[in-house]
Amino acid sequence: MNSERRVIIRTVGLKKQYVMNDVVTEALCGVDVEIHDGEFISVMGPSGSGKSTFFNMIGALDRPTSGRVFIDEVDVAQLTAEELAFVRCQKIGYIFQSYNLIQYMTALENVTTPMVFGGVMSDEARRRGMELLELVGLGDRWHHRPLEMSGGQQQRVAIARSLANQPTVLLCDEPTANLDLATGQDILDVLRSLNEKKGVTVICATHDHRMMDMCDRLMWIRDGAIERIARRDEVHVEVGSIGES
Amino acid sequence: MRLSSVSSKEIILADQPRLSLGRTVRIAIDGVRYRLFRAAVTVSVIAVAVAFLMNILSESLIKRRLAVDARRELSAMRDIHGWAARLTRPLDPAAILMEVAAGGALDGSTAKGGVIADRASFAARARAAASYLAFFDALEYDPRRALIHTARGTAIFDALSDPEHFTIFEQRLAEMPALRFVGSLAEFRAFLDRWPELAVQLQGVVSSQEHAIAALNRARGDRTVFAALAQPDGVFVAAARAAGFDLDEATASRLTEQAQAVLDRLVIERSLSLLESRQLLAQHFNLLPADISANELWGYLEKSRQAASYLGVMRPLVAALEPYTAERLAALATTRRDELALERIERMTAGAGEGWLGLGERMGWLLMVSMLVCAIGISNAMLMTVTERFREIATMKCLGALDGFIMLLFVLESCFLGLVGGLVGSLLGNLIGYGRMAAAFGIGVFGTVPLGETLAAMGSAVAVGVVLAALAAVYPSLKAARLAPMEAMRVE
Repeated sequence: MNSERRVIIRTVGLKKQYVMNDVVTEALCGVDVEIHDGEFISVMGPSGSGKSTFFNMIGALDRPTSGRVFIDEVDVAQLTAEELAFVRCQKIGYIFQSYNLIQYMTALENVTTPMVFGGVMSDEARRRGMELLELVGLGDRWHHRPLEMSGGQQQRVAIARSLANQPTVLLCDEPTANLDLATGQDILDVLRSLNEKKGVTVICATHDHRMMDMCDRLMWIRDGAIERIARRDEVHVEVGSIGES
Repeated sequence: MRLSSVSSKEIILADQPRLSLGRTVRIAIDGVRYRLFRAAVTVSVIAVAVAFLMNILSESLIKRRLAVDARRELSAMRDIHGWAARLTRPLDPAAILMEVAAGGALDGSTAKGGVIADRASFAARARAAASYLAFFDALEYDPRRALIHTARGTAIFDALSDPEHFTIFEQRLAEMPALRFVGSLAEFRAFLDRWPELAVQLQGVVSSQEHAIAALNRARGDRTVFAALAQPDGVFVAAARAAGFDLDEATASRLTEQAQAVLDRLVIERSLSLLESRQLLAQHFNLLPADISANELWGYLEKSRQAASYLGVMRPLVAALEPYTAERLAALATTRRDELALERIERMTAGAGEGWLGLGERMGWLLMVSMLVCAIGISNAMLMTVTERFREIATMKCLGALDGFIMLLFVLESCFLGLVGGLVGSLLGNLIGYGRMAAAFGIGVFGTVPLGETLAAMGSAVAVGVVLAALAAVYPSLKAARLAPMEAMRVE
């Protein structure tokens, strides 16, 4: 079904090794994956599986030991530090498990920070920031600081911030892990509607089984390699069997 | 269904724009405001160090001013002693040379030397001679002994005029590479060749001075020169002028006054030799009679009521106290008190303004160490801030912040703390400095130093604080800038 869509992230033989005290740990050992524009992908895997390393690689946060990462057909390894910063600012939105809002900034200032880094004029940034806050349902809380908001609200501000420069990819690192069920559902709904209405590619690391119900494809990572990739309709049957295995 | 603007975003790669300084400053200040307590601690570290520096600066400025003022006033008060010497014995040839070299004072302060025909060339050669004498005077004992043996003053020139001596001198000088002779040796040689001529001239000056002083001695009779000068009738002054001393009206009247003060002081302090006066003062000050000094006496006499009772006791015993009234004694005591205060300032400010910032070696060392400790303190505080904020820094890098921005953010934050700390510290240091100086020298210290000088000193102290903070922040900022953006993903 995705064959006509543009490939937004492609990895070729992606390997990453960490060297610590002369001990080489292979975090990723040859990952080949293609993610298409507008997809909603869940990445599953136990801790230590290389999931975070994979995220760092496709998020242009770290360089691979070997292999290549293409974001929007651009080889990340070829980029200078300034260009990397540009990619992080303009192409990718990050959503963290612990929100990572900047504590001394208001919600609006947090949302506009990526725009400030991207060189948007402050009036324009303010206008767009308010729009994004309204989009996540926090238009009236723009002047509140992170400590004055609940976890769900903070995560919604973080989502608004990740959308600041209209990125093509949204990387979410367990966005619902720190939230209760109902709030987690809210966040998932926001992500889903962003994906459907705005066509943003969403890549989500998660343990949340509700995520499976809404994603296009599921990806399992184990021991630094892709264990399995499946479309949701293929998996649906499998979900029931997880308990039995 | 999809918004076209998002997915059709073209693959345009560009460098991330650099943020303007104004925006960076605002973000830095926001960060500081959020961590006010930590900032306050860092600021106080800087403030203490800058206050120390500023305190030393302001005290040295005040002391230097006070020293200059005190020295000027005292030298005016002590004019009489110089004149008393000149009017009673001729200067020695070396002193004449120094005097002439210092500004051709041959006419003003010594009797006219009639033998000198060409004053200009005499003055020029005197200047040369004075510079050679100054060179020999400044020598340490060993090189001096090697070069000129035990000769002093103009005897040095007499000795070196001997060619044999001069050769030895030349050789020994060549053996001391660290020593630089003033001027060239050839010039010195030429000077020595003509030295006998100058020596004769100097002898002429000395003998004319002797002549003038002999004439003056007849006018003085068996009085001391102080007693003669104190005579307000001006006869002695006229005689001095007639003998060839350049005494103008103003100097003469000043000398008369000062000579009288010297005599008064002698009469009054001499009265202390009697046990009666000591007993009176000992009762008043609750001291042993043997411990009474002239200072207690002057302190006692400052009040005219006490001066009157002193006179009541002492006048019958000391004939010389006869012409004094209580008011006059009190006035003399007040003058003496001022003089003592000046002498005290001169003593306490001795050496002020010498060396770097007017500090001694130990003070300079202490200052360096305190600055170093301060820098380490700032560095440590900034390192802690960086560690504390690693997630925030990493997040900012995920959002597109450049390494340069992160670095600038922390350097600016530190500079800002340095500025605030510097301002607080320089004010504090000034206050402490003036407070201490006022305690030592009285409230007269306020206003001694011009505002411009104080402001310049404060400015440089603040600058030191800012530079120190900026330097101390370099390593922590580098550390912050090098933080990997993936740190933001880390879960505690």
